[in-house]
Amino acid sequence: MAANTIYAVTGMTCEHCVHAVSSELTRLGGVTGVTVELVPGGQSAVTVTSDEPLLTDDVSAALDEAGDYQLAGPEQR
Amino acid sequence: MSQESSPDSTVIGDRPEAARARSVELAIGGMTCASCASRIEKKLNRVGGVTAVVNFATETASVTYPPAVTADDLISVVEKTGYTARVPAERQAEVAEAAQAAQHEADSLRIRLLVSLALTIPVVLLAMIPALQFRNWQWASLTLASPVAVWGAWPFHRAAVVNARHSAVTMDTLVSVGVTAAYLWSVYALFFGTAGDPGMRMSFAWLAAGSGSGNTYLEVASGVTALVLLGRYFEARAKRRSGAALRALMALGAKDVAVLRDGTEVRIPAEQLAAGEQFTVRPGEKIAADGIVADGRSAVDTSMLTGEPVPAEVGPGDAVTGGCINAGGWLVVRATRVGANTQLAEMARLVAGAQAGKAPVQRLADRISAVFVPSVIGMALVTLTAWLAAGHSAGAAFTAAVAVLIIACPCAMGLATPTAILVGTGRGAQLGILIKGPEVLESTKAIDTIVLDKTGTITTGRMALVNVTAASGTHPDDVLRLAGAVEDFSEHPVAAAIAAGARERLGAALPAAEEFASHDGMGVSGIADGHAIAVGRAAWLQRELALAVPAELAVRAAAAETAGQTAVFAAWDGQVRGVLAVADTIKPTSPEAITRLRRMGLRPVLLTGDNERAARAIAAQAGIDEVIAGVLPAAKVDAIKQLQDAGRVVAMAGDGVNDAAALVQADLGLAMGTGTDAAIEASDLTLVRGDLLAVPDAIRLSRRTLATIKGNLAWAFGYNTLAIPLAALGFLSPLVGAAAMAFSSVFVVTNSLRLRRFRPETLASTRLP
Repeated sequence: MAANTIYAVTGMTCEHCVHAVSSELTRLGGVTGVTVELVPGGQSAVTVTSDEPLLTDDVSAALDEAGDYQLAGPEQR
Repeated sequence: MSQESSPDSTVIGDRPEAARARSVELAIGGMTCASCASRIEKKLNRVGGVTAVVNFATETASVTYPPAVTADDLISVVEKTGYTARVPAERQAEVAEAAQAAQHEADSLRIRLLVSLALTIPVVLLAMIPALQFRNWQWASLTLASPVAVWGAWPFHRAAVVNARHSAVTMDTLVSVGVTAAYLWSVYALFFGTAGDPGMRMSFAWLAAGSGSGNTYLEVASGVTALVLLGRYFEARAKRRSGAALRALMALGAKDVAVLRDGTEVRIPAEQLAAGEQFTVRPGEKIAADGIVADGRSAVDTSMLTGEPVPAEVGPGDAVTGGCINAGGWLVVRATRVGANTQLAEMARLVAGAQAGKAPVQRLADRISAVFVPSVIGMALVTLTAWLAAGHSAGAAFTAAVAVLIIACPCAMGLATPTAILVGTGRGAQLGILIKGPEVLESTKAIDTIVLDKTGTITTGRMALVNVTAASGTHPDDVLRLAGAVEDFSEHPVAAAIAAGARERLGAALPAAEEFASHDGMGVSGIADGHAIAVGRAAWLQRELALAVPAELAVRAAAAETAGQTAVFAAWDGQVRGVLAVADTIKPTSPEAITRLRRMGLRPVLLTGDNERAARAIAAQAGIDEVIAGVLPAAKVDAIKQLQDAGRVVAMAGDGVNDAAALVQADLGLAMGTGTDAAIEASDLTLVRGDLLAVPDAIRLSRRTLATIKGNLAWAFGYNTLAIPLAALGFLSPLVGAAAMAFSSVFVVTNSLRLRRFRPETLASTRLP
């Protein structure tokens, strides 16, 4: 069943970051869409639409791959 | 040349790869934030055997890699991550290329603008003046308007698409949507509607109900494009060259240096100097690198670093900084830090760091568009559904919906900011206020604190004679005349101040002096008017000439030192006869400037690298209570940051190289035109005359300009917003569209022109234009 999860991500400051995070998250299996609400220097809201809910570890790893980004706080579905 | 070096590893046979690893520094391009740097670092480190450190501030990657990997491999990894990498040999060419690319962009913008303007004028004329509407005129219109709507507006279309991929909406989106809507609608009307009829005349009624497909809006499509391009062109011309501050800083370093090799001096380029080598510095020459004095005594001008106007006296064992000027005698220095490790390079990094830390401010127009565009699209959809729901035909419903899109695009928006800035900067230039960073004006919130550098900003930066006291039995004029005569021969700023001061106070020429001798910066001696004179420090007079300083003069000297001044004694005929106090003096207009700044609601803070006593003395004269003294350039940046963290919006005025990074960090940076290039390039405003009185005026001008920009934007959007209901109800006519365009543009331009009447506060004794 498709899931819409909103992650709070820190460490994003510019459009480049948005692009990097989006492309890394899209590469995760089952992800059909990523949108980012950028809050430069603060907590940005990253909404991931996927066929199945994603493992938090996978998301953290993808964020780590994209740069210095971290998950902050719990996710909202 | 790429710096390839073999490491210190001497392990042979066991791990031959490690022994043959190479290292290189790559110039990385395209990074916009520190996260980009760490991303590249991760990717590079993933490659087998590679260790990389990427520095965002300096835009370089220091990489060590095994023979199995080539530099090209590294470059392709970086490129795959989405950035560019170059081996530094090409850096010079790269800088030139960047400058050329910027020029190309400006040129292509200009061509687009001129062609669009040329084509738009006939389109608008044809649409507005029925008498000109010859048979099949609308097809001519289409031919003229098409290049404008498609090619002329291309930058907006492209930006809108790129932004849409990131779900971002900016002014470009708004323009693109409006132009496209108007153009496509016109094409539809021409081919499928009644607008293509040969005898068609544009209806001139204000409220043209139901005439949708009988009208073309080509003049809107091309007019909006042309006007917004015009605005962009103004902005491009005013854009500051990036990297200019850093370049100015790096230009401060010495170009070449006289290195001592085997006892002979060899002149080599400064980059080739290695740590540990000894080099000579002649009087007046720049010191090539950070080091320790090995031989010689002199006075070194450290104002670049500390802001102290008094040169620091140095002798063997003292540390000196690269880039400072050797003011006194000949020195031999052993280099301790060269190249990227010098204090000068550190300051460049500070500036780069401060510049990197500034998040690019989202333009006001973009922020408004981000809200406006979705609302407009929403309204268009609502219009569409409402019409359909009310039972009208799809065609009519579409007409109304598209009309909303067309009218919602405010073309004056493209002119709102650039015209205000253009007029504001023009007026400022007339008043000696150069606004170099117009993008800063948009983000200037209410500034509540003004940080001022001391030397060269509040003070003249030059030593001047402030006091002369004679011992009992001696006339002060004699002290002036004799001390001045001898000091006239010295290059030392203190000496120059005494000589100049003496001339001024006596109102006469100084007697000629003979047998002048300079004693290692401690004092000077000579013969004038038949007396053997010595002028210098108390310690030196005592040690060399066995002259004691009388109590009354000693007290005077102590008082001067407490006030942060420098005191020297003059002696002749076996006695110390007088003391002269020299200090950096406050500019005559500074106290008044501080008063005015307070009146504007700003809190003044004195921030200087000079010592506490001198700082407090000047602060008292200027009327400033808050003083932060003895700070090095890095600490100046921190001081600004602390003020900002405390919630204050900080403007900073400075002139020295040591102010450059702090000027970048401040919310508004003002540089004295009389100061260093580095400070001028690093700041947002330059006060050409270096008069502190220009600071309150500059702040008022930028506030007024910002208010004008906001007013312009409000009106630009306002006019078109008023017309939206008209469009939604189906009453849009080309006339309404053109009228909105014309009136809002005229208003914006006229409002901006009001800035020409900005007047500086005049001082009773000063006449300003």
